Amino acid sequence: MKPFKYSRATSVSTAARQVSANSQAKFLAGGTNIIDLMKEFVERPDELVDVTRLNLSNISTLAAGGISIGATAKNAATANHPLIRQHYPLLSQAILAGASAQIRNMATNGGNLNQRTRCAYFYDIAMPCNKRQPDSGCSALEGVNRMHAIVGWSNQCVAVHPSDMCVALAALDAVVKVQGPDGTARTIPITDYHRLPEDTPHLDNNLRSGELITSIEIPANNFAAHSYYLKVRDRSSYAFALVSVAAAMELNGGTIKQARIAMGGIAHKPWRLTAAESFLAGKTATADNFKLASEQALQEAKPLAHNAFKIELGRRSIVRALQMALGNII
Amino acid sequence: MSENKFIGAPVSRIEGALKVMGKAPYAAEFPVKNISYGFPVQSTIAAGEITAIDTSEAEKQPGVIRIITHENALKLPAGPPVTNANRMTRANPVLQNNKVLFFGQYIGLVVAETYEQARYAARLVKVTYKAEKPRINFDAFAAEAYKPEVINAGYPTDTSWGNVADALKQADVVLNETYDTPIEHHHPMEPHTSIVLFEGDQLTIYEATQMLEQTRQGVANTFNIPKENIKVLSPYIGGGFGSKLQPREHLLLTVMAAKMLNRPVKTVITRQMMQTNVGLRQHNRQKIRMGADRSGKLLALAHETVTHTAMNEEFVEQTGVISRMMYAVPNSLVTHRVFHTHIQVPRWTRAPGETPGSFALESAIDEMAFALKMDPVAFRIKNEPEKNPENGKPWASRSLIQCLQTGAEKFGWNKRKMEPRSHQQGRWLIGYGMSSASRGAPYREASARIKVSNKNKAVTAVVEMAATDIGTGSYTIIAQAAAEKLGLPLENIKVQIGDSSLPPTPGSGGSWGAGSYASAVAVVCEQLKAELRSKVNAQFIKGPSVADLMIAGNIKEYESTGTAKPSAGMANYAHFSFAAHFAEVWVDESLGIVKIPRFLTTVAAGTILNEKTARSQIMGGVVWGIGQAMTEESLLDDRYGNFVTRTLADYHVPVNLDVGKIDVHFLAEEDRIINQLGAKGVGELGITSVAAAIANAVFNATGKRIRQLPITPDKLL
Repeated sequence: MKPFKYSRATSVSTAARQVSANSQAKFLAGGTNIIDLMKEFVERPDELVDVTRLNLSNISTLAAGGISIGATAKNAATANHPLIRQHYPLLSQAILAGASAQIRNMATNGGNLNQRTRCAYFYDIAMPCNKRQPDSGCSALEGVNRMHAIVGWSNQCVAVHPSDMCVALAALDAVVKVQGPDGTARTIPITDYHRLPEDTPHLDNNLRSGELITSIEIPANNFAAHSYYLKVRDRSSYAFALVSVAAAMELNGGTIKQARIAMGGIAHKPWRLTAAESFLAGKTATADNFKLASEQALQEAKPLAHNAFKIELGRRSIVRALQMALGNII
Repeated sequence: MSENKFIGAPVSRIEGALKVMGKAPYAAEFPVKNISYGFPVQSTIAAGEITAIDTSEAEKQPGVIRIITHENALKLPAGPPVTNANRMTRANPVLQNNKVLFFGQYIGLVVAETYEQARYAARLVKVTYKAEKPRINFDAFAAEAYKPEVINAGYPTDTSWGNVADALKQADVVLNETYDTPIEHHHPMEPHTSIVLFEGDQLTIYEATQMLEQTRQGVANTFNIPKENIKVLSPYIGGGFGSKLQPREHLLLTVMAAKMLNRPVKTVITRQMMQTNVGLRQHNRQKIRMGADRSGKLLALAHETVTHTAMNEEFVEQTGVISRMMYAVPNSLVTHRVFHTHIQVPRWTRAPGETPGSFALESAIDEMAFALKMDPVAFRIKNEPEKNPENGKPWASRSLIQCLQTGAEKFGWNKRKMEPRSHQQGRWLIGYGMSSASRGAPYREASARIKVSNKNKAVTAVVEMAATDIGTGSYTIIAQAAAEKLGLPLENIKVQIGDSSLPPTPGSGGSWGAGSYASAVAVVCEQLKAELRSKVNAQFIKGPSVADLMIAGNIKEYESTGTAKPSAGMANYAHFSFAAHFAEVWVDESLGIVKIPRFLTTVAAGTILNEKTARSQIMGGVVWGIGQAMTEESLLDDRYGNFVTRTLADYHVPVNLDVGKIDVHFLAEEDRIINQLGAKGVGELGITSVAAAIANAVFNATGKRIRQLPITPDKLL
């Protein structure tokens, strides 16, 4: 990898200033993705600013209800935290569906949001890739694209966001708290955090230069009793999703008060299924209604040469995730 | 062989403690003074020529010592044409021209003071190409397939007897199907590694290799160095699976660099290079035609394989050979055809031939049994051949029927319903499937030196051989054989292997390692004992042990070197190991998810030298078989010729959750022909036919017959 300068940040604002002052600088947290990318020469920072000692690893309830999850809390610690397991089991399940135990022990929550696509063409510097090198072309568009997007892609990029955690966060209406180099804090709804590729596939998210994630907040909800994260993949663990579904329902007897559904493995960002959610609101929680809801989903899908199966698999996964969320373990 | 005290006992690996404590040095871990680090530069096209290499920016980087490319490489004599006989040992000159024949080909080596410096500089080498459109796509070029003169291991390309076409016309039931198995990679845990050190005209090589002698000869031939001047050390190896059988190009580059720089060089390749540079199992397309009469007698079997090889070397896996010997077939046709592509040359990959071949054959047998409404176990037994159908030779030992019957009983096969989709539990469709497995049981000449010493009447022994332990248990079975034949406690035996200067062996490959090593030890122990007996002029009440002789004769040190060879009569018999596999699968049909909670294998492989390490071997084979069936596939981009499955996150070897309970049962079997100990190999038997058992179970569960591996969720939707 390219030689780089390493420093340990002592405060959020100095870290943000350091990275904003050098266009070749990057934050370093768990390092489970960026170090791989540096070895592969995909990322070539000349400076890494280590943010793991900024005391951003707290997980606690918010005064106004909901929960705050520190940016540098480890994925494993987050998934296994009693507050998360009790109130946001969907998030816990999603995190544990991702990566491997070793990676989850190292990876942080902020890093999970900022991890880059696992598109093989992005990783192989011999291949054209607009995300890695703007205007070089998208190799996956007409290449091997079984793992790639079926919605929201552009001719510039058909990559998918690899995170499981973010799919659950999208379903749970999380917001991302960030702080910039001038000390300004702002919040970004998770569904606005990641971008679609459009004509700027090199940009994964809407962070501004030097902005550092400090925490993720999830509002209080009544989904804990009826939520499920379903991940369908080529092997049982340590594989990226073919499709995944985060499903949550608030029930009033047999009636769905409100539902949340987000999908992973199909787009450049976690994909909320708002039409299916609206359809379910007020309906009884039955397999037939779940099936009808799934038919509302993915109508905009445009499959590539090798991934048309994701539409049918996706719809079936929606039905299954809702059934599992309901507690109908069949 | 139940009278044995040590041979066969489930002894834990004698080097196990060293390994778990990190004290067993692997090839990359030998400290060498003044070491430098090599990192290969790889081509980024699959076909064409290098027109320019600009190393100027790379050379400027701190720590860079030399960048070797075809422009400044040591000139080496051209190698001879490749044959089966010289494939591992021939001169293999590297970096001698500007031609690119596959994506990722080594086109240079950067040598620097540290690994990171070498890797960084390698990225900065700018290469300009005159690229050609690569030949990659299987379907596009399969029509060009020709008949090779010979296939791997010297098997005949084509065999036939009777008349398949006529027999198929007369058959009551006919099957005609095509089976595809994808490119797979070995991916041993330990990456391929070389440390090369010249001291005067003496060359020491630390290498992760299955074959010490072949490595030495390959280097000797490539660089025109007397092989006596070369020592290859490989005491511990983190898996090979065939990818470490021959001296690979990273070693030849490292030797060249060490020679040019007059400095020790170490090269450790990356996981990505293990996809592009150390061989692969090729994509096999197998067409099976089979005919049977109503009674379930096979009348005809044709097994025709098409596969690919590299532009510059013909390597053809013996995919169809299992169809020549497995069943009593009066009319047979087995052929192999191959075409050239810009894909790296395929290489021996655990049970070359049988692994893909058994998927096609044992799937087709299951399909035929189903068409005949016969139980697949009974169908197989009905077609059991008395002698090897290919050449009429008697079996040295063949206990397949016992494997089938014992396996069926232990598995509870009688609970299976023949009709697919007849066993459902909640969302799961449950299916049972089975297959017969076989793998050739070669046995080769091997030598050993045994040194016994007597210190104050404590008699100990050292066994020395140029053998390798690729994680299979060679150290342990060698010690067991020596303890048995010398009559010494196991802890009094020391095993020295992994050094090419010790007495030669055939190395670890082709399932011949364990039987060849242990038989050599047994033969030399008996030789040593006879020699001692003739030296000691004493009377004994009962047959004296080696310790008795050493003590009675007051002999402090004694050594004997000898060789065990295949008997003259061995070639008159057919030598194979056999097994039967039984699989239970649960299929979540709506999502295409398959679970394999239970897998049972019965094995008959002659004398089992160590029940524990043999069991691990079979289990490892079954796990790879599960990978072959369910998850493993290397994908190429036809436009560029690059692999898009470049890491272990993309190339899916099974994880723990993919593997349920694996039950392994060894059946007692006596083989008086194969070798002194009656031991046949188990290293490759375990993977053979596993994928078919699983695919057959998936059919039984769902009614869907998958003939293109792996069985990923999308194929079951």
